[in-house]
Amino acid sequence: MKIKIFSTLIAALILSSCSEDFLTQYPETVVSAETFYKTEADFRQAVIGAYVPLRNIYGTGLADYGAWAMGEMRSDNTAFIYNAANRGYADREYIDQFIDDSNGGGVSNKYQNDYIIIGRVNQILKTIDAADFDQPQKDNYKGQALFLRAFAYFDLVQYFGDVPLVLTPPTTYDETTVGQSPKAQIYEQILLDAAQAATLLPNKASQEAGFVANGAAYTLLGNANIVLQRWADAEAALLNVQGYSLLADYAAIYDPNNKNHAESIFEIQYYDLPTANSASNFAYNFLPILQNPGVIPGFPDGNTNAYAGWNTPTPDLLAAYEAGDLRKAASVGFYTGEGYVDIPYIKKYVHGSEIAPNTNDDWPVYRYAEVLLFLAEAANEQGKPEALTYLNMVHANPRTGLAPIAAAGQAELRDLIQQERRIELAFENKRWLDLVRTDKALQVMNAQGENIRNNPQAYYYPAGITPPGYAVTAKHLLFPIPQREIRINPLLVQNTGY
Amino acid sequence: MMKILLIKYEHLLLTLVCFFTLTVASAQSVTVAGKISDAAGESLPGVNILVKGTTTGTATDMDGNYSITVPDAQATLVFTSIGFKTQEVVVGNQTTINLVMADDAKALDEVVIVAYGTQNKRNVTGAVQTVNAGELKDQPVGQITQKLQGKLAGVQITQNTGIPGQGMTVRVRGSASISAGSDPLYVVDGFPLQGSISNINPDEIETITILKDASSTSLYGSRAANGVVLITTKRAKAGASRFSFNYFTGIQVIPEKGRPDMMNAREFAQFKKEVAIERGQTVPDVFANPEQYGEGTDWFDAVTRDAIIKNYSLTYSASGEKFSTSVVAGYLKNEGVLLNSSYDRISVRINTDYKLNDKIKIGFNVAPTYSSSKTPQSDGIWYNSPSIVQSAMLSSPLAPYINADGSIPLNISSEYGTPDAPNWYNQVKIVKNTSKNVGLLSNGFVEIKPIKDLTFKSMIGVDLGNTVSDYFYPSTAGSIFNPPNANDPSRISASHSNQYAYSWLFENTLTYAKSIGDHNFDILGGYTTQAAHSESGSLSGRGFPDDRVQTLNAATIITGSTDVQDWSLASLVARVNYNYKDKYLFSASIRRDGSSRFGSDNKWGNFPSVSAGWVITEESFIPENNVLSFLKLRTSLGTTGNNNIGNYLQYANVVPTNNPFNNQLLNGSSIAGLNNTELGWETSELFDAGIDANFFNDRIKLSYGYYKKTTDNLLYSVDIPIASGFFNYTTNIGKIEFWGHEFQLTTINLNGDFKWSTDFNISFNRNKALELGTANSAIYGDMTITQVGQPLGQLYGLVWDGIYETQAEFDASPKHQGAEVGSVKYKDINGDGEITNDTKDQTVLGNTAPKYNYGFTNTVSYKNFDLSVVCQGAYGNKIINTADRFTGNLDGSFNVQKDLANRWKSEEDPGNGKWGKASGNTGPERDWASSKWMYDGSYLTIKNITLGYSFSSINVDYLKGLRIYASVQQAAVFTKYPGGNPEVSAGAGLFSGVDNTTYPVPRTWTFGLNYNF
Repeated sequence: MKIKIFSTLIAALILSSCSEDFLTQYPETVVSAETFYKTEADFRQAVIGAYVPLRNIYGTGLADYGAWAMGEMRSDNTAFIYNAANRGYADREYIDQFIDDSNGGGVSNKYQNDYIIIGRVNQILKTIDAADFDQPQKDNYKGQALFLRAFAYFDLVQYFGDVPLVLTPPTTYDETTVGQSPKAQIYEQILLDAAQAATLLPNKASQEAGFVANGAAYTLLGNANIVLQRWADAEAALLNVQGYSLLADYAAIYDPNNKNHAESIFEIQYYDLPTANSASNFAYNFLPILQNPGVIPGFPDGNTNAYAGWNTPTPDLLAAYEAGDLRKAASVGFYTGEGYVDIPYIKKYVHGSEIAPNTNDDWPVYRYAEVLLFLAEAANEQGKPEALTYLNMVHANPRTGLAPIAAAGQAELRDLIQQERRIELAFENKRWLDLVRTDKALQVMNAQGENIRNNPQAYYYPAGITPPGYAVTAKHLLFPIPQREIRINPLLVQNTGY
Repeated sequence: MMKILLIKYEHLLLTLVCFFTLTVASAQSVTVAGKISDAAGESLPGVNILVKGTTTGTATDMDGNYSITVPDAQATLVFTSIGFKTQEVVVGNQTTINLVMADDAKALDEVVIVAYGTQNKRNVTGAVQTVNAGELKDQPVGQITQKLQGKLAGVQITQNTGIPGQGMTVRVRGSASISAGSDPLYVVDGFPLQGSISNINPDEIETITILKDASSTSLYGSRAANGVVLITTKRAKAGASRFSFNYFTGIQVIPEKGRPDMMNAREFAQFKKEVAIERGQTVPDVFANPEQYGEGTDWFDAVTRDAIIKNYSLTYSASGEKFSTSVVAGYLKNEGVLLNSSYDRISVRINTDYKLNDKIKIGFNVAPTYSSSKTPQSDGIWYNSPSIVQSAMLSSPLAPYINADGSIPLNISSEYGTPDAPNWYNQVKIVKNTSKNVGLLSNGFVEIKPIKDLTFKSMIGVDLGNTVSDYFYPSTAGSIFNPPNANDPSRISASHSNQYAYSWLFENTLTYAKSIGDHNFDILGGYTTQAAHSESGSLSGRGFPDDRVQTLNAATIITGSTDVQDWSLASLVARVNYNYKDKYLFSASIRRDGSSRFGSDNKWGNFPSVSAGWVITEESFIPENNVLSFLKLRTSLGTTGNNNIGNYLQYANVVPTNNPFNNQLLNGSSIAGLNNTELGWETSELFDAGIDANFFNDRIKLSYGYYKKTTDNLLYSVDIPIASGFFNYTTNIGKIEFWGHEFQLTTINLNGDFKWSTDFNISFNRNKALELGTANSAIYGDMTITQVGQPLGQLYGLVWDGIYETQAEFDASPKHQGAEVGSVKYKDINGDGEITNDTKDQTVLGNTAPKYNYGFTNTVSYKNFDLSVVCQGAYGNKIINTADRFTGNLDGSFNVQKDLANRWKSEEDPGNGKWGKASGNTGPERDWASSKWMYDGSYLTIKNITLGYSFSSINVDYLKGLRIYASVQQAAVFTKYPGGNPEVSAGAGLFSGVDNTTYPVPRTWTFGLNYNF
């Protein structure tokens, strides 16, 4: 009895005095979510954080899984230099060869980062209305959030088709598993979000440089309507893209000294300050594999880019440039040496490097030239004569050195607009989706596959290597949902054929 | 404070007085000497001899000899030794007293250490196994866990890598969790450690006790689910002062078996030549005449060496009436068999006890350690930051590691047929990766017996540690595809990190032991609090001008981060042991734990257990007989927990996610997870039943145990669909069942001049996942899967089906994209006619857990010689050797296994059917995980052989005993597994069984001596 009293006493003494405080430990090095999403500064930071995954989507790192692989290299514009020494990057090749599967890094990178954007944006949209700060700033942040959500879903729906549509952040484990919504429903949400973003966002002149303005939202709205072939809606949206103009020098569009210029509507922001950890590496990845990339002007010596050789312009694309088109020299470079003879490489993003392999190049997503070409397309499909005017605003701009296109019929103009898009927007991840939405993908890609099989060395395969694949079927118009998602989400249905 | 000071001076004074009286006493005394042996005539070391009524005492040496000075002829000597009856002898006029100690019928009254106390072994109702450190002393290794290999039933101890000072995994009864820790809780002299015990000098240890079932572990509550290892360190024993010196030195050599079987220069040139021809390419000149080459460079040899290991250990102990102390000082110097790797440790432990009076005893333990290690990045796959072992294996044997003129090349040039890479022999030496650790484990206690049978014990303890790590990567270092460039200082990077951590414990217990007639009670109650804190900082630098200054001082770009971690635990403990006539045994205990690691709605948990035992041989219906000397049945049931998940996981945090806009980095923030206010313990319910039976006067001891453990609410960072915005969610989900049988057999096979005893143990551990996630979705590792109804972490992938050897076979078989005649073939598991590298055709390939683990030790002695052999083995598990992916690479990118000479070349020359053709699409053979890389992982390893010789009849003042021995550690490994180490990747729970190439485990030849003053 005595013992019991004694021990109870001690226990009571110790545990009552400090137990709750003693047993509550909050992390010191991060902010707890409960205290966040309250002030204007919180929402500014949250919006900035929602842009971060864009850098991953468009590519960071060496031999990255950037959007170029699925958007450009999949198409007839570019191929790759077969890396005989290092077969470890083969799953990027599979995208070009149409033998990619759900294990590929490219599909994971796109799918995951799009949803990370959506997750971050949903947190903002859930809490911003309740927060107490100035309405104009609130509209601006909300507009950016809605734009980013629409942009991410647009990326997902074009590459993967039906995907889960999540518009509010999950609060329990059970809510984290969601099945797919039909494409049409995703598009309706994209149109809704983009339209609302367009009304909430300020114009470019009053927006901070690098953040999206209403022009970006209207361009996105126009683009989505183009894909849906709602030509009048597209035209209406695109006509609202105001305050932009074409640069006089085509090469200046890509110059990192000239970021967020008058033609730029939306570009992915990179920065090569070493401590910022947000440099781009496209230039290194897109060069031929070199013992010393220092042979290309502007790059420091050393640091072989043995991981490179990606997104290499094909002979087909080089042939597609009209004679005298000044854009060719600004877009494609050639290198001779180290066993290469006039090997082409993408020059748009080649602007040297301070510290290898980091570069300061941004990635252009939307620029005004594309708006004009969208307008040309929307007008042409509606049989409106201004189509040719819009086309020539790009084609015959003094920066191309080309003469205006004379009048042409609707069908002919349709091809000319696509041809113009192919050249003007080369290496900007437009070509594959253009082929898909114009129903040209199977025909164009199978024809190119035939050429590759017949003459692999013209497509940068070394002698003795037989290229596998290049048998393009309807299933290849969509990419497979990443294997991780199929494994852990029983509600998902893999795209047909994968 | 005042009191502590007083005690301090008093003890100093008393020490002086003791010393003085001892000196005085010896002036008028008689010296008695003799030899003590057991009934079999074997000399008995360590018998305590005390002059009755005094504190004068001594103990017998290695050969059973003693010598003691007594005050006068009336003195009585008391001889005591565990397992023997105590004897008293009046000295009279004898100067030689030789004694034969009689076995104690109650030899089982051996005391074992249990949670918060001790217990007579015969009365223990839980599953407990004790190893005395004396049995382990000869093994020439630096970590105590290495010495325990093969010794414990139901405890799997494996060495996953040979990195000095690292790599041991201890799993009690196959314990595993999905993502919480699976290591047992280590408790040193009552202090639960935060981390591992690799920094403890094994020579400091007296006993190691493994607690396996609920009744023995539940007093450790939320940390006990993986079992508990109780360690007691050496304290002075009654008797005279003792001084001993132990030393061993040896050489570590990588055995031939387990080395990679790579092509030599001639074979590699031939391979490269053939590959070029098969592809229709021009054969490069360098490979045109393979016959001109010989062996070339063996890169595995080039980066490894024979290495020295040395250990010094000095022990002093003294014991007086009031004051006793034991000091162990040790120095271990362990060079590694990989160049530039080492582990050194200096340690001191001082354990002091002081008896203030009959009622109060205080004690202090202080154990500082210093360790320093050099650890080149050795383990893992080559593309994960250049892991040297695998990278070196894959390099061209044509490339020299030292030039003919003695200079050391910086690079392996791609001209030699493998990608541009650094010279690994140079790389291993120039990349700096060092770590230094200073630790202090210290506790103090006071034990008060205010009234008869009641003991109050209060303990405070602290575990302090500080680790400093430095890394420097010069421009002359590189990796495969990224060779060094001495002219490019932008390659240089360095880092410096510092971690300071402590944990403190404050614990108060009351025990009350009482016998009323035949009823014996032992009651414990107490509370204990423990908290831990750590702060770490890490700086990394770039922008060095050159390789000369290797610290951050020369860096122009320095980035850094800090981290702070805290946890706290407050608990109540209580236990009642009761037995009737030492025949019917009962025990009940409970711990109530509150932890900072869990959600606000789930902070407290209760961990009760009950157990019972029946000593049948105490019953009158079992007559005294010569066959069955002891028989006990025991069983227990209880609940324990696992809180080993890291801190703050219940909180959703907002983390920095900065982004540049227009060449300006702006602060961004994003939420990094989901809140979980209900996050709680992993709870395990354990049932245990066992039999302990001894036969023929305990010459045969057999112990059998059965257990069943159901772990519920598994702490798991469960993968969630990324459409939620997050990759995972930490929650309590899932249920696993573990069960098994374990046997321990100890026999004395021969007794007499020639003695031979055997210890054998075997355990059969099984497990099964009962629930996983809400939808029971499977958990995938790189090449493993855990599914409901199946054992944990089975190997998973495609089923390899050879090669499409002929056109006819090709036409008749299902195919994968890019398949051709001569390329690899897999099984079409789902039968859709197409082979795809995803869940459609991937399937379970094999089990990573052994069907059984076993160990045995044979100890033989004859006259002055002793010999012991320790073996450990496992049977029936599978291992995937991922190195096969690269050493079987058909692209000609790497050096390859000799066996690739037998690849498919044509329908007429299909090779041995294991390797496809080198031309065509090699990707599916190279990159798709399959049963082709899987092997039987069964092994039997002779862990240690020691042969010793004790010098008898040395009776010089300064030398009371001398024994010399020779020992071989890791003497032989019998296995079909072709990789380096069959113990690799065991104990990794759900993700076991995948060998990513590790630091080789050497064989160690040593010579040692034990010297007693």
